[in-house]
Amino acid sequence: MSDPRPGRHYRLDEPSPDLADSLESARTYLPAQASEPLSDEESAAAPTLDAALAPPRKRRWGLLLVLGSTLGLGIAQAGETLYYATLGGDWLAGAWSLVGLLALGLGGKALLGELWRLRKLRRHARLRARLDEEWMQPDADTSAHDPMALADELRSQMGLSTAHPHWQSFVQAHQPHHSAFETRELIAHHLLHPRDRAARRLVTRMSGETAVMVAISPLTLIDMSLMAWRNIAMLDRIAALYGLQLGYASRLRLFRDVLRNMAFAGASEIATDAGMDMLSMNVAGKLSARAGQGLGAGLLTARLGLRAIATTRPIAFEPDERPRLADLRREVWHRLRRLEDGSKKP
Amino acid sequence: MAMRRALTQEIQNLIDRGRDRQLRLAVTGLSRAGKTAFLTSLVNQLRHAGIDARLDLLKAAREERLLGAQRVSQPDLGIPRFPFDEAMHSLATTPPRWPEPTRGISELRLTLRYRTRRAHGLLGDTATLTLDLIDYPGEWLLDLPLLEHDFLSWSEAQLKAMGPERQRYAHDWQSAMSALTPQDVVDESRLAALAERYAASLSDAREAGFSHLQPGRFLLPGDLQGAPVLQFFPLPGVQESDRATLEALPSTSLYQTLARRFRYYQQHVVKPFYREHFRRFDRQIVLVDVLGALNAGPERFEDLSLALSTLMRSFDYGKRSLINRLFAPRIDRLAIAATKADHVTPDQHANLVALLEALLAEPIKDLRYADVPVRALSLAAIRATQAREIEDDGRRQPVLRGHGLDDQPLLIYPGDVPPTLPPRDFWQRQGFTFTGFRPPASDGASALPHIRMDAALEWLLGDKLR
Repeated sequence: MSDPRPGRHYRLDEPSPDLADSLESARTYLPAQASEPLSDEESAAAPTLDAALAPPRKRRWGLLLVLGSTLGLGIAQAGETLYYATLGGDWLAGAWSLVGLLALGLGGKALLGELWRLRKLRRHARLRARLDEEWMQPDADTSAHDPMALADELRSQMGLSTAHPHWQSFVQAHQPHHSAFETRELIAHHLLHPRDRAARRLVTRMSGETAVMVAISPLTLIDMSLMAWRNIAMLDRIAALYGLQLGYASRLRLFRDVLRNMAFAGASEIATDAGMDMLSMNVAGKLSARAGQGLGAGLLTARLGLRAIATTRPIAFEPDERPRLADLRREVWHRLRRLEDGSKKP
Repeated sequence: MAMRRALTQEIQNLIDRGRDRQLRLAVTGLSRAGKTAFLTSLVNQLRHAGIDARLDLLKAAREERLLGAQRVSQPDLGIPRFPFDEAMHSLATTPPRWPEPTRGISELRLTLRYRTRRAHGLLGDTATLTLDLIDYPGEWLLDLPLLEHDFLSWSEAQLKAMGPERQRYAHDWQSAMSALTPQDVVDESRLAALAERYAASLSDAREAGFSHLQPGRFLLPGDLQGAPVLQFFPLPGVQESDRATLEALPSTSLYQTLARRFRYYQQHVVKPFYREHFRRFDRQIVLVDVLGALNAGPERFEDLSLALSTLMRSFDYGKRSLINRLFAPRIDRLAIAATKADHVTPDQHANLVALLEALLAEPIKDLRYADVPVRALSLAAIRATQAREIEDDGRRQPVLRGHGLDDQPLLIYPGDVPPTLPPRDFWQRQGFTFTGFRPPASDGASALPHIRMDAALEWLLGDKLR
């Protein structure tokens, strides 16, 4: 162990940084000097284990290649046609090729946009993993990063400006001595809690409305399409709350992530909730079969919404903060009851 | 009349305890660990909660549910009130001074008012929590472990605990003692002179930074100055194996006289202090001046570790239930804090906490066994410095800006804090010299700056402010 550095006094008029001697020359180190291996095995082993446990990653290089080369060849073809058309004076062919070029350009732009949004989603997931890793330990303050820098990255990822009131109140609350864990607590309070509340309200409203709509809709086919449409809209809005703009592919990916999350990570939760769900559906079924169906659909939407929140929120929930299905169930149930009461009165 | 009032007070206390609306917080620390500063800052922060105090890590304050606190008259009218106004006054003078060290016991009762998380219908929207705090000289705290001993084992333990450096201060007394044997008959005045030498050796050792000094009243006698109960000292050279022969000595012998006084001291000085103030606690914070111990060197560092671990055996720890909340309160949550964290740069706080945990390793193991949650943190009750950064040799160097104890402005990197105790030879080579700072200029009307007081409060009280 090297000795701790001794204290040092500095002159009060802080010297301005000198640029001339910032260039570093070559140095030789004594062989006896303590040196460390570049990577230690412990940390090197962990990612491979994680990677092995994660679902296999499929990269759609083939699809991308086909789309990209189609675009490229199409542009080349259209360009060539345009060139010969201008030479030969065949104006009709030239106009068609111009239209073709325009269409290809739009297609390319859409493709690039999709890729960009996908990348953004992936970056979001990476930031989430990093925050999890560095900010979750309460005492061990081993993070090499300045917590404030990471917080700033999170801010830009969420699409907030530095003048945003939520960010401003965080900056005021943050002190230089706050550790990563404390910073995380403050970020969660100032930036995420308002969004959590909005997201929760959204899920409550959406699930209640879905329950009612399914309960009163006359056709099963309409039920299904209503459910799908509303759920996708809900996912979009939740993602937007946490600063994610979804495109077609990224929506699909997020939807898949949420569903996978529900199927695997949430399975135990479903098992514990299932009894209660069955019971309330039975009770609702006593009112009417429709109400039972509606409740089931509403609960499914609620569960999907909560999972979507958990998947898109940049910092994982504290155990006691996590919104629970039980609270939402009551809401959905109240809505249906109101519907039933209203239908009986006249 | 007075008795009836006392009885109603007692019943009210019982009801409050039963509803879990009353907490007794033990602020434990040896002398100069920063107890008075901690209490002053605590009252100040809670008074200013929701106005200008920055208590962002205290959840109730962050959610703007904490409405504030008020000092109310304490239950025990026989004990002086904690001199909060005097302490604030000394912080507001120019140049500001740290509050005077505590010379006697004082008490403080605060009521905290807060909004509950969810309205409970019957109980109303706001609730109060009563917080009892006491301040006392840290020197007296060291008497608590004395209750585990009798005179013979105490003498043995005392002399065994003296390291070579500590012996230097006791040399004068020891040479005077060398002529005496346990069976001698010694007159009063000679005993008094010897006891005075012993007391002088203790106070010299304290000046030099030692902490494990018993009996504590020798350092700060209070109203016992000059009483024979303070005229005893450990006997060198006695051993457990001679117990039978020593016990058989006549009652006029030196051994018996000292043993009698020791017992009296235990029964009439330490026990009442313990019974009245140290039995009934719900939460505890142990304040440790780690930097001061580092400044003082390895022997004093170990001495501090020993003092703290023997001390912490005097408290009851364990899980709470309704029954023992009412009749035998136990400490069910504990914070250990390295004070004066503002005297090092923020990047050193993690090391400071690691060192604190190393210092208290033994008690922490016992607490884990008792399943009592412990949290270690670094705090500064009153932040005397500001963390800055400067450019030094082409890299960013964190520094502190503040005023030294002599009121000179300073811009200083105070040095690294080691995460574990460095090897012995390090002290010969380098050692530590952490600079002292005077408190920040304050007008006495605004909230005091602090480091992690809010985190400490969250840990100690947060679960009651829901």
